[in-house]
Amino acid sequence: MNRKIHILAVFIFWVSTVFAQSPAFTAAVSSTHVAVDEQFQVEFTVNANGDRFSPPNLTGFRALSGPNVSTSMTSINGSTSMTTSYSYILAAEKEGNFTIGPATIRVNGQTLITRPIQITVKGTARGQGYRGGGQQQQQQPAQDDTPEESSAELSKAVFIKAVVDKTHIYQGEQINVSYRIYTKIGILQSQLDKLPDLNGFWSQDVGDPRQAPQWHTEIVGGNRFQVAELKQTVLFPEHSGDLTIDPMGMTVVAREPAPARDVMEQFFGGSFKDIKVKLKSPAVVIHVKPLPEAGKPADFGGAVGAFSLEANVDKNALKANEALNLNVKITGAGNIKLIKNITPSFPPDFEKYDPKVTDTINKAAARIEGSRLYNYLLIPRHEGNYTIDPIKFTYFNPATQRYVTLSSKPFQIAVAKGDKQVNVSALSSADKQDMKILDKDIRYIKTSDTGLSQDGESFFGSALYYLLLLLGPLLFVVAYVYRKWYLKQNSDIVKVKSRKASKMAAKHLKNAKKLLSAKNSKGFHEVVFKGLYGYLGDKLNIPYANLDKDVISEALRNKSATENTITQLEDVLDLCDMARFAPVTGISEQEVYEKAKNVINDIEDEI
Amino acid sequence: MKYKSIIYLLLCIALPLISFGQADVKALFAKGNQQYAKGQYKDALASYKQVLDAGYKSAPLYFNMGNAYYKTDEIPSAILYYEKARHLAPADEDINFNIRYTNLKTTDKIDEAPEFFLNKWWHAFILCCSLSALSTLSITLILLASLVLIGYLFTSSVVLKKASFFTSLILFFLGLTAIFMGNRQTAYFDSHKQAIIFSGSVTVKSTPAAAAKTLFLLHEGTKVDVLETNAGKIRIKLANGSEGWIGAGDVKEI
Repeated sequence: MNRKIHILAVFIFWVSTVFAQSPAFTAAVSSTHVAVDEQFQVEFTVNANGDRFSPPNLTGFRALSGPNVSTSMTSINGSTSMTTSYSYILAAEKEGNFTIGPATIRVNGQTLITRPIQITVKGTARGQGYRGGGQQQQQQPAQDDTPEESSAELSKAVFIKAVVDKTHIYQGEQINVSYRIYTKIGILQSQLDKLPDLNGFWSQDVGDPRQAPQWHTEIVGGNRFQVAELKQTVLFPEHSGDLTIDPMGMTVVAREPAPARDVMEQFFGGSFKDIKVKLKSPAVVIHVKPLPEAGKPADFGGAVGAFSLEANVDKNALKANEALNLNVKITGAGNIKLIKNITPSFPPDFEKYDPKVTDTINKAAARIEGSRLYNYLLIPRHEGNYTIDPIKFTYFNPATQRYVTLSSKPFQIAVAKGDKQVNVSALSSADKQDMKILDKDIRYIKTSDTGLSQDGESFFGSALYYLLLLLGPLLFVVAYVYRKWYLKQNSDIVKVKSRKASKMAAKHLKNAKKLLSAKNSKGFHEVVFKGLYGYLGDKLNIPYANLDKDVISEALRNKSATENTITQLEDVLDLCDMARFAPVTGISEQEVYEKAKNVINDIEDEI
Repeated sequence: MKYKSIIYLLLCIALPLISFGQADVKALFAKGNQQYAKGQYKDALASYKQVLDAGYKSAPLYFNMGNAYYKTDEIPSAILYYEKARHLAPADEDINFNIRYTNLKTTDKIDEAPEFFLNKWWHAFILCCSLSALSTLSITLILLASLVLIGYLFTSSVVLKKASFFTSLILFFLGLTAIFMGNRQTAYFDSHKQAIIFSGSVTVKSTPAAAAKTLFLLHEGTKVDVLETNAGKIRIKLANGSEGWIGAGDVKEI
């Protein structure tokens, strides 16, 4: 068992010897003991072709440069080796013990990790050191032999100041910061180390950056200084609170007269010493007040300063589907670029496009001044008279500490009917365009003039309509009543007979008259006799079987007929009865006829 | 004897009412038609307007006016007159076609909310004939029914009696249906007060107040239902169910 392990161990060692040239990833620093702000180099080297280099954690250090990648390839006795290095130039930010974290790289699918490196930071560098300098060393070879020196005396002789025009401002109000260098001694070179991070501000450099600094003389504390403006910036605080304007770092090489080492030197004007000085402006704290909430208009868009408003339209009368330009110009000093877009309310039927915004900023002055121009393109799609409401713009004036609302005048736009009723791509009709109707038209007019009626109440529901409607039922009612009356009249047989009796008699008499004119005496008397009997039978409701003179007379008396009539009737009946069998003398047939007629008339009258 | 004289009396009253001044108006109407045929739409319109001013109306007159307005490119007026014609002759296919076609020329595209099928059938039923046709039909049917019923009273044959009784019953039922349809049609047009938008563009507000929120926009030629009127403002409803307030001056009622 033991032997096996030994053999295995031997194999493993062999392997490691064979693969001595296996990928290695190492980290190295130029110095593990550095001072604050001292520059040093850290280099990560891999002796293979690696990829996906992930940089280390560099907290506590400021990376001045890097990663700078360099690759070298060497070929010795046919075996090629390759080295890639990633280097950083770092500077410590403060004293203490720091760790440069591990960096990783992938080689042939393997991930390699470096060991973390401990760095001790102690003391402050007096100037900029180039102990590990790589590239920067070459950039500034002249400075290499310049001794770094810093002394209290020197810092009084040359310094940078950040000058602000005010320290108590409102949010959004502009302040001007100018960095100035003050010097009593000559400056050979200058280099900006660090531009200030203006956190919490929106900044805008003013002045001409290409212009060389103008030197002028200023007396500070009884000393004459040469002063130059390095940089001028206008700041707009973005939020309220105490905001710090970061220091600005600068390295200058100053020439200081050195005490002469010998007479000859003194004679030739003495010697000079070139000193590299690292300058830093003091931080400035700006107290930013929030904008007052009281009286803040709803449409306030964050504009602070002093502005004026100008608005105009290019025409007041146009046709539908033509373009209308509305220009709104806001001019003044303040945070023009930070203004939120104004929201004018246009008539809803205008097609409107996003405005073209043109900013004009005057950078030459110490303050941000300028104008913002909104160009709105409007297209009225329908005719009518429209009013564009006044354009409003609200800003806060820090000088008066008040909100000011500017307002233009309203614009009256008269839109005439467009040239052609084309289906423009207005929002609502856009979909209607896909309906293509070719060779289609409205239907032709109606040429028949039927149904031309007087305007007013319609026939349906009018009195006449209802009257006509009732006509049918009315007719029916009339018919119904008539039929009822008719039925009633015919329901009593006696009455009907009696009513019909005179008709029967008239018929018989008529017949008799015919016979009379035909000289048929016998027939005539018989018809008269039958007619009378029939008439009386019907009239008095006496069955024919019972009919004789006495019964008739009796019945007539009962019906209160006059005796005279009864007598006459009896006479006529007797006469006719006799005449049927024997000729009658003394009375003509004409007289018999008249008599019978009179009797019937009398009975009709009396009963 | 009596009822005959009543009919004569009625005819004596009714005929002058119907025929008074008709000759002149018919001539004007014919003149308008000729002008239209020649393409003189404005002149035709003037002639038709004279007929209208004389106090006459008819579906063909309104229809022809709508056509003339259409030809002179006055779409809202065209739609207004077509709709007026439709009130007089709701089932006329020419009128309905021209309404549909002219509506394609308006700006607003409104998707009609689908109607419940029974409602649809009901409306189609009561609008199938014009009101005047229904009036004539109802009077004729009721009169005929009454006459057949009178015949029933006086006939003695059992077969005839039976036949006439049921015939008159059916005729009465049909007559009453015609009256009912006419009544419903009148009620339909009375309750569906509609108007056409005449202003180029109208903002529809949520309340009658001028400062109210703008809900949507309407353009000329769109037909709206008028729901109520309040101090110069009217509440309108669109076919798709949207409601809002607009000025009464922006529309013309049909």
